[in-house]
Amino acid sequence: MAEKFDAIVVGAGPAGITAAYTLAEAGAQVVLIERGEQPGTKNTMGGVLYRKMMDDIIPGFWEQAPLERHVIDQQWWLLSEEAAFSIGHRNLGHDQPPYNAFTVLRAKFDKWYAQQAVKKGALLITETVVTELLKDKQGRVIGIRTDRPEGDLLADVVVVSEGANSLVLEASGLKPMPRSETMAVAVKEVIALPREVIENRFHVSGNQGVVIEAFGNATLGMTGNGFVYTNKDSLSVGVGAMISDFVRRRIHPHQLLEHFKQHPAIAPLVAGGEVKEYLAHMIPEGGYETMPPLYGDGFLVCGDAAGMVIAVHREGSNLAMTSGRLAAQTIVEAKRDRDFSAHSLSRYWEKLNQSYVLQDLRQYRRTTPTIERNPQILGIYPSLLNEVMGQFLTVDGVPKREKEKRLLRLVTRRRPVTGLIKDAWRMGRAML
Amino acid sequence: MHIVVCVKQVPDATEVRIDPKTNTLVREGIPSIVNPYDLHAVEAAVLLREQWGGKVTVLSMGPPQAAEALQKCVGQGADEAILLTDRAFAGADTLATSYALAKAIETIAAKEPVDLVLTGRQAIDGDTGQVGPGIAARLGLPVLTYVCKIRSIDLTQRRLVAERLLEEGREVVESRLPALLTVVKEIAEPRYASLPSLLRAARYKVQAWNKDDIQADAQQLGLKGSPTVVGTIFSPPGRQAGPQLEGEPQAIAAQLVHELAARGIIGIQGPVGVSRFESITQRQSA
Amino acid sequence: MNQRAQAATVAERAPLGAGATTVDSGLPQVDVQKKLFTVRYKADKESHLAIRDPQICLACKDKPCLYFCPAEVYKWEEERITIAFEGCLECGTCRIGCPSHNISWRYPRGTNGVQYKFG
Repeated sequence: MAEKFDAIVVGAGPAGITAAYTLAEAGAQVVLIERGEQPGTKNTMGGVLYRKMMDDIIPGFWEQAPLERHVIDQQWWLLSEEAAFSIGHRNLGHDQPPYNAFTVLRAKFDKWYAQQAVKKGALLITETVVTELLKDKQGRVIGIRTDRPEGDLLADVVVVSEGANSLVLEASGLKPMPRSETMAVAVKEVIALPREVIENRFHVSGNQGVVIEAFGNATLGMTGNGFVYTNKDSLSVGVGAMISDFVRRRIHPHQLLEHFKQHPAIAPLVAGGEVKEYLAHMIPEGGYETMPPLYGDGFLVCGDAAGMVIAVHREGSNLAMTSGRLAAQTIVEAKRDRDFSAHSLSRYWEKLNQSYVLQDLRQYRRTTPTIERNPQILGIYPSLLNEVMGQFLTVDGVPKREKEKRLLRLVTRRRPVTGLIKDAWRMGRAML
Repeated sequence: MHIVVCVKQVPDATEVRIDPKTNTLVREGIPSIVNPYDLHAVEAAVLLREQWGGKVTVLSMGPPQAAEALQKCVGQGADEAILLTDRAFAGADTLATSYALAKAIETIAAKEPVDLVLTGRQAIDGDTGQVGPGIAARLGLPVLTYVCKIRSIDLTQRRLVAERLLEEGREVVESRLPALLTVVKEIAEPRYASLPSLLRAARYKVQAWNKDDIQADAQQLGLKGSPTVVGTIFSPPGRQAGPQLEGEPQAIAAQLVHELAARGIIGIQGPVGVSRFESITQRQSA
Repeated sequence: MNQRAQAATVAERAPLGAGATTVDSGLPQVDVQKKLFTVRYKADKESHLAIRDPQICLACKDKPCLYFCPAEVYKWEEERITIAFEGCLECGTCRIGCPSHNISWRYPRGTNGVQYKFG
């Protein structure tokens, strides 16, 4: 006879660990199942962890968690072949507690975070793959099946936080296989550099950190971006784009990464570094329109598995954590009412609706499709902007009035005025 | 039957590199695992318990986080797990380690007699293979190294027959019990443990023992009890690449035979040459 | 526009010859094995990836699996796709990206597969 718990959490990432932690803290019997050797060994992200959502769960976590650097400087670089137009924001207000964001390496961070859940009383089972949800005759979810012998477990509620590759949801008929236009693949390298070198190259000291997002030539105009994040004594350098783009362009993701690393604006940042690890991961970027049902009889869906990613803002782990926390709170209430029906668990949806999670996802519902349908946005503008800036800043004796006329001609040759207006309108509608 | 298995938590050696500049082990980011040979020993012990009944106790010495390794062994089927953890144990070489483990086994046996002690053939970090025999020497147990199979056990006569994997073949040895066996991987393949077993391990609290729990003499423990001094660690120079033969497979094979024969590595009877080799390959393809 | 960019644009339009594993896109050629060498694996004995129907691959013109896989697990060798599953990073891209959904995909058994050290 399979053992029964109050809740089973599938997958020890930011969403799952948060759900398990919150449930255990509330006194629920919860088991957290992870397929990696340790939580974190199968987990990857660019590397930015936002303070607020983690602070909601473990106040003052930065005192004890294995973090890399706190972010004081965020930059956006629009790259052309050999130029970069950049904007940035350096804020020393973010240089002190409670901080704003941190860079992390997930193998270390997730292991630590899961240990905190275990200390609260969660049972952690590693090296075990959940293969499907168990349902009763009425179709209610009553537990899970794993690939272990005698591998079934029962629970009042199953939290599905299995990540981007949502095999359990698909196997259980709760989600269709995602389309390649809605899923990005990102590759990354952890590149070791001495602390002093990082401090010099990025103009930081102590544990101050810098994050750079790069667009345009970084992905050869494909829908996606490149990034450089500073860790303590390494950089996380990566690039990602939609799978459909890689299919169309016939480029290896690692080839794109190498191209990015060799870009004249990026190469000096990574020069002399030793690659410590190469990683790949999918990111669900389809947004609101591609989200599966988030609740049902006996189950809740959180994090990447639920498609909770806002690609344009590089947000995912924060949405995952908030969704994990709200899922746990919903289960605690359902346990109090002894009601684990879809109706009872729909409070999860209400909570998400009241939070930034669904409000933001709804606001950006058109962003990815708009960028995908309008490849000129990332294909033309970054290089055009650099051409304009390059000519404008080249002191060559041409009168300014004449220069302005030439620049306008240059712009309209690449993109007619009507196109410019349409693009502005499209992006405005997609973002605001 | 009560079996004690000694296990060690080690850095995953497949990942360990030596820093060419400092000649020290690069341990950063290297995950800790149960010494692979020890997992085979645990499996062998669990199989014996399943056959004969009784109990499997896993024993380790290490820092508090080595409890992770023991918990893994409980998941693999061990009944009890004991971790010797005390500052006094730190810095131990094989002599001091075998002393502490032997004292612990005496303590365990005082409560419940031990029939068999198993260890992996060696740990993949130190690669000495000395701790197992060291424990046996201190406890006055017969020691069988490189055991690849336990043929039979007679608990009434207190005898065991095992096969040892030697370079030139297998040696069948009979021993009295209790005995200490160091085992090779062939002894048993670690199982894909059941979920109930993993749940038991997740709930299991590893017992932590300090030097007083095993009534150890502090002078023989840790750094104090360790006469071994590590001079330097270095990577041996890489081997030079050998000559590479290119061309059609038949021609290369013939040339290879020539080269090997010329160096006296192989001896050839009868005429040597392409024709002979061709006749063989033709026969095979026909 | 420099040569590298021009080459990329040309390659974009160039048809893919059957059996080709890389298109000269003007991008840096990368030895992915060197990258995979930095990754920690616990290799499974059997493959967690499989081609459902080899006939579909024969008829597949683009064979995008030869490109989008970040570990170059898939190679076209003598009329069939070979799978170097040992190097798989378990991202799932091939599962989504195969236009015919012809790749049977599961996770390696619990103790196996990629085990990141840094993440």
